[in-house]
Amino acid sequence: MSNPTSRPESETPEVAPVSRYLWVLAALLALLTLSAASALIRLGMLNTIVNMGVSVAKTLLVMAIFMHETKARRLTRMASALGFIWLALLVGLALTDFLTRVPVPSPW
Amino acid sequence: MNATVMDIEKHDGASRVEVQFNDPVQQREAATLGMWLFLSTEIMFFGVLFASYTICRVLYPEGFAEASRHTDMLFGTIETAVLLTSSSLVALALRSIKLDQRRAATWLLLGTAALGVTFLVMHGFEYYNEYTEHLIPGINFDQPGPHSRAIELFFCLYYFITGFHSVHVIIGVVLISTLAIRVAHGTFGPKNYTTLELTALYWHLVDIVWIFVYPIIYLVGRSG
Amino acid sequence: MSSIDAGESMAPSTPSFYAGGEGLMAWLTTRDHKRIGILYALTITVFFAMGGIAAAMIRLNLVEPAGLLDAETYNKAFTFHGVIMVWFFLIPSIPATLGNFLLPLMIGARDMAFPRLNLASWYLFVIGGLFTVSALLLGGVDTGWTFYTPFSTMFSNTHVILVVVGVFITGFATIFTGINFIVTTHTLRMPGMHWFRLPLFVWAMYTVSLVMVLATPVLAMTLSLIGLERIFGVGVFDPALGGDPLLFQHLFWFYSHPAVYIMILPAMGLVSEVIACFVRRRIFGYKFMTYSMVANAVIGFMVWGHHMFVSGMSVYASMVFSLLSFTVAVPSAIKVFNWTATLHKGDITFEAPMLYALGFVGLFMLGGLTGLMLAAPALDVPLTDTYFVIAHFHYVMVGGTVMAYLAGIHFWWPKITGRMYSEPLAKFSAILMFVGFNLTFFPQYILGYEGMPRRYHSYPPQFQVLNIFSSAGASILAVSYMLPVLYLLWSLRHGAAAGNNPWGARGLEWQTSSPPPEENFLHVPIVREAYAYDEPAP
Repeated sequence: MSNPTSRPESETPEVAPVSRYLWVLAALLALLTLSAASALIRLGMLNTIVNMGVSVAKTLLVMAIFMHETKARRLTRMASALGFIWLALLVGLALTDFLTRVPVPSPW
Repeated sequence: MNATVMDIEKHDGASRVEVQFNDPVQQREAATLGMWLFLSTEIMFFGVLFASYTICRVLYPEGFAEASRHTDMLFGTIETAVLLTSSSLVALALRSIKLDQRRAATWLLLGTAALGVTFLVMHGFEYYNEYTEHLIPGINFDQPGPHSRAIELFFCLYYFITGFHSVHVIIGVVLISTLAIRVAHGTFGPKNYTTLELTALYWHLVDIVWIFVYPIIYLVGRSG
Repeated sequence: MSSIDAGESMAPSTPSFYAGGEGLMAWLTTRDHKRIGILYALTITVFFAMGGIAAAMIRLNLVEPAGLLDAETYNKAFTFHGVIMVWFFLIPSIPATLGNFLLPLMIGARDMAFPRLNLASWYLFVIGGLFTVSALLLGGVDTGWTFYTPFSTMFSNTHVILVVVGVFITGFATIFTGINFIVTTHTLRMPGMHWFRLPLFVWAMYTVSLVMVLATPVLAMTLSLIGLERIFGVGVFDPALGGDPLLFQHLFWFYSHPAVYIMILPAMGLVSEVIACFVRRRIFGYKFMTYSMVANAVIGFMVWGHHMFVSGMSVYASMVFSLLSFTVAVPSAIKVFNWTATLHKGDITFEAPMLYALGFVGLFMLGGLTGLMLAAPALDVPLTDTYFVIAHFHYVMVGGTVMAYLAGIHFWWPKITGRMYSEPLAKFSAILMFVGFNLTFFPQYILGYEGMPRRYHSYPPQFQVLNIFSSAGASILAVSYMLPVLYLLWSLRHGAAAGNNPWGARGLEWQTSSPPPEENFLHVPIVREAYAYDEPAP
């Protein structure tokens, strides 16, 4: 069964230079330092925001560069986003319960 | 008419294409898509624990802050750095294989596995210290004070999350070590690296889970 | 201009996929999606029988107001019935059997993207089943299939951990099947098979796989947490620590509501194929059918709170979930309209698959409408945990999915086995099933409305008459399930040989021999539009 659109593997797959990986690692470690250092300063709600922001940034770096998502097809990028979006749905809708509970005092 | 596997194994190390695929590129792209879907299931799997944590923390903000101060921030930070570095090593290993640099790839993979083991060892020390400090729910938990129940809740989640995560790390270390041996024997090359790619993706997911675990366990309420 | 050289494609001496390997080991080590589909079919039939025996125990118990069983045994019976029927029959039923067999055939592929993963999925399914059945043999579990905490985590003295391990393992069978279907549909469609040329059954398999992949991991972790809490005596569901039993319910129903869409979406796709065939027309509103399947899959993830209206959940969250539940009924309704519109002025014949399919449409509609009633919190408060709810979900799961599954088994039986079954017996069984089903479950709507609670082994005497009707119906239903097993097995030896396309249907799977050869097609066909693979040669 022959297929006219058959594609053989490339002899020399595209690779990024080593420096790119090392820069990404440096950025990741810098972000780590930022979150650890800022946690020691009392910033209230901002602490959580900074920490979450750092985590998101690290994840995007890992996904984009280490996992090659910038080069990936749109389909794999959608598959990679799917889990995060669905998790947000679970947490978000569940919080509509936990955040809106009004304690009802018992009559006795 | 040959109804069995179409075998186009060439002498230049190309991967064998299974009969349902047209060509090796389609086979590799299908495998990668499948792996990403599996990673999404892992995100939902760990996500339950993150969701539970979020809800409990919304209910007991001070208790969770107090509990987080009982964790070892130094260990946690070093563990995060270890995993981030291991991610970079496995990504470089994949790059080396694509460039047919077998020796570099083998050492990079062994390095990744070694860092994974380092992570686990450090975790083991953490668990041991927590045992001596009576922080393990269901075994010897004893933390007096107004936030005792919330602290116990926090540590239940801590052990669930880090427990499941460590199991995934162990699996990853085993897979990567096995791959290092196979790379040394010349199984993989620029035209045959799908297994490596999939395993690397798995390892990156293990890293990403920890990236979110670190701040929610070790960095809450650190400013006192 | 022909899309397929039907005359040349199948040489009469092409060996079928059965010929490729005989003996048990050939089956147990197969990678052929068709054989794996058959392995699944055999296994789920065994589980259906087990779940059916548990149902018989329930209905026998309920003929007598004081209950013929003691409460503890009754609890174990309905738990086993629920666990087996939900996870070991309904969820795998259409996707793992007919989906596995037909998906590559319908898209012109040689096999699934990951054949070994497919076989692994079946093994996981069987191993999970063994764990669950072992729990039964060791004395059973009494928590209900919903495992509500804190009873399941703290107070039940039964083998909860064995069952949750079993379901956990089986969950991965579902996940692997889902991943396989999604990648296969994206990657292995034949040239020209664009998304809007796919059969609706394939759309159903694809959307159901998305639900499987996103929902099942949540169940896996939630069940793990039950197990861990039982082992360690503490956990996040423990009220003594400030944990919340409602957290369990949120997590459990986040999976279990989409699970019912896992059960119904394949049925909807299947029935679309059958109806289109026996009305000799294209399905009405093909694109709306596809959009509504996606809508059901997506919105189905946002409605889980409607199982928790009386749990103590915030009333504002109840309102949100109620509105979303009303919304999710719309895509289902669109499908019912489209099936009906397809029938209008069609050239209808009433072969057994069509009888089952028409039964599906009517019974699913009734079940769906009562679901809407339950989606209103004001109505749900008195109706929850009564027989009204039991009637509702049996109408959609049994009157819906099981009837659709039987429609599919009969419709594709000639393709899978190369034999025709006995049409008069099949018609009789279908009608008997419809009668038996309604006699069993319609009285339960009334019982629930009148206040009879579910999961109680005894009940007030004024409910006895309707319970007797229901149990009588159940015995008729049981016969109507056993008959197809008998005449279908009989047809394997004595049935008339089926040609490539005994129904004159328009799907691609009918262009290959019955049964198909191992590689499915001798050469890759070309498709120009949906269901147009059979245009006659000029």
